[in-house]
Amino acid sequence: MQIQLQQLVPVPLRDKLEQRKSDIWNTSVTFNKGEWVKIKAPSGTGKTTLVHTLYKLRDDYEGAVSWGGKSLRNYRPAETAALRQQTVSIIFQDMRLFPNLTARENIELKRVLTAPPYYEATVIDAMAEKLQVAHVLNQRAGLCSYGEQQRIAIIRALVQPFEWLVMDEPFSHLDHNNAGKAAELIATECTKRKAGFILTDLDEDTHFAYTRNLLL
Amino acid sequence: MFPLLKKLIRTGAGRTRFLMAVLGLSVALLLILSAVQLQADYHSLLYSKNSQDSIANFLVVNKQLTAQNIGAAELSPADINGLKQQPFTDAIGQLTPSRFRIYAHGEQIPFSTDLFFESVPDEFIDVTSADWAWTDQSQFIPMIVPNMFLDAYNFGFAPSQNLPQLTQDVVKSLPIQISISTATGNVNYYAKVVGFSDRISSLLVPQQFMDWANKRFGTGEVVKPSRLIIKTKDPGNPELVKYLQEHGLKTDADKTRFSKYRQQVNMIVNISWVTGVMMLLFAILIFTLFIQLTIASCKEEITLLVTLGTAPRQLQRFLMRQFFPPNIIITVIVLVAVAILQWLMAGFLQGKSIYLPAATSYTTFAAALLILLVLWLVNYLTVKKYIAQAR
Repeated sequence: MQIQLQQLVPVPLRDKLEQRKSDIWNTSVTFNKGEWVKIKAPSGTGKTTLVHTLYKLRDDYEGAVSWGGKSLRNYRPAETAALRQQTVSIIFQDMRLFPNLTARENIELKRVLTAPPYYEATVIDAMAEKLQVAHVLNQRAGLCSYGEQQRIAIIRALVQPFEWLVMDEPFSHLDHNNAGKAAELIATECTKRKAGFILTDLDEDTHFAYTRNLLL
Repeated sequence: MFPLLKKLIRTGAGRTRFLMAVLGLSVALLLILSAVQLQADYHSLLYSKNSQDSIANFLVVNKQLTAQNIGAAELSPADINGLKQQPFTDAIGQLTPSRFRIYAHGEQIPFSTDLFFESVPDEFIDVTSADWAWTDQSQFIPMIVPNMFLDAYNFGFAPSQNLPQLTQDVVKSLPIQISISTATGNVNYYAKVVGFSDRISSLLVPQQFMDWANKRFGTGEVVKPSRLIIKTKDPGNPELVKYLQEHGLKTDADKTRFSKYRQQVNMIVNISWVTGVMMLLFAILIFTLFIQLTIASCKEEITLLVTLGTAPRQLQRFLMRQFFPPNIIITVIVLVAVAILQWLMAGFLQGKSIYLPAATSYTTFAAALLILLVLWLVNYLTVKKYIAQAR
C-alpha cells in the first residue's frame, strides 16, 4: 500500500513551517511499499504531529494524506479500524499502554484484536525474551519502567500483521545495547512481512539500513 | 478478547443506578404483562365456548318511548344505517309487524283473543323446525311463541282459572283458528305453534307469510319498522350500550348488564397499562443513563482501544453483551411470575365457577418479546451513540 502526502501542512504549525524548508511539509511525497524511511526531526518541527496525522489521530491539517490512493479523511470508522488491524502498526512515543493491564495482557489484547491472530500466543514470550522483558510480562504495565514499557509497546506493535510500521522515537528510553536488540527484532519482523516503516527521531542513527533519509 | 475488555471496561461504576433500573424494569414489566394477561383472560371469558350464551348474542332494539314520541316511535333509515355501521353489529334484521287485525280462537280448548304477528328474517330465529315454512299452498301458518307466554299461562293464568297446564308438545299439537279482518269480511286460516323461543319476545310467523298477508290485507302504505334485531359478539360491550343510550334506543337491560363489569375491568387494565408504560419509560431512561455513565467513565480506555484498531462493531458487541442479558433475565423472571399468578388465579376462580385457562396466554409471551425487542433497540442505539461520542 502506497502512502502519499500532498501539500500537507498542519494548521497549528502553518506560520512556523513557512520559514523553513522541509522534505515532508507542504510538498508532495510518496512512500512506496517496503521502503524503510528515516525522518530526522529536530525538536518542534512537528514530528509527533506527523505521526499522528499519518495514523489518522488528528485532522487539523491542510493538504491530503492518502493510504492506498484513498484520502484518510474518507476512511470511515470501520475502515480505519481495519487499516489499523491489518495494514499499519504503530509505536507511540508515549507508549500508550493500559496501565491497569499486565504487560502480557497489553500485548495479548492487540494480538487477538485481529481475527484470526497473526501470531500464536507463544510468540509474545519469545519476543519478550529477546528484548529482555520476559520477567515483567505478568506485571501491571503502569508499574513497569519507561524502558520496559517501550519494549512492551514495540512487541505489541509487532504481533499484528502490517505493511507499514510507524515509529515515533521508538528507542528514546533504551540504552544502546537494548536499542540494538529492539532494532534487530523490528528489522526481522519487517523483512518477514516485506513491510516498510517510517521512523522519526531527533538525530541521525545507524539502527537500520534505511532506503531513504528525509528531513522534517 | 472479551475477557480483556471486561478488565478494561468496568460496569461497576453505577451499581445503584443499575439496581434501580432493574427494579423499575421488573415492576414495569410485571404491570404491563399482567395487563395483557388480564385482557386475554377477559377475552377468553367472553368468547370461549363454555361460557358463550346464545341468548345474549341477539338484542331486540327499539326506540325508548317517551311522552314526546308516542305514536311516532318508528326507526328511520338513518337510525338503521347508523346501527348497521357500528363495529359491534354483526348482522341486523327488521321486525316486521302485521298491518291487519287478527282474531284467534282455539278449537279443542276454548279460548279467544285478539292477536298480532311479527316476523324476522330466518337467520335470526333459533328454532329449527321442518314446519317453519309457508307458501300460499300451506295448510297452516307456523308460529313461534315466546317461552315466557307458555310459562305465564302454566304457572300464572291456568291455576287461577282452573284450567289444565299445557306442555310444549300439547301446545304444538293444538290447531288454532285465525281470522283476519278485511274490508269484505273475515278470512280464516289455521295456525300451529311449531316452536318456542327465548330470543325474541313476540309472536313470530314466517317472513313469507307476513309479506304476503301485509300486501293482501294490509292498509297498503309502507310502514317504517319500529323494532330491530341485532346480532353481536359481545352484548356487554360498553360501546354498544353507550351508542344505544346516545341514540335514544333501548334493549333488554339484562343482556347488557355485563357492560358495567366490563367497564370496571377495562379501567383497572388501563390504569395498569399506563402505569406500566410510564415505569417502562423511566426504567429505559435509567438504563440509558447507566450505559452512558459506564461508557463515559471508560472514555480513556475506549479511546485507546479505538486507537489500537478496535472496530466500533467489536466494542458494540462487547458492550451489548454486558448490558442486554440482565434485560432477558428480568423478562424471564417476570414471565414466570405472571404464569404463577395466572395459575393461582385460575385455581381460585375455579372455586367460584369462573373458568380461566391455567396457562399463560400467547399474547403475554408476544408482548414480552415485543418489549424485549424495544429494550434491545434502545440498548443498541444508546451504545452506538455513546461509542461514537467516545471516539
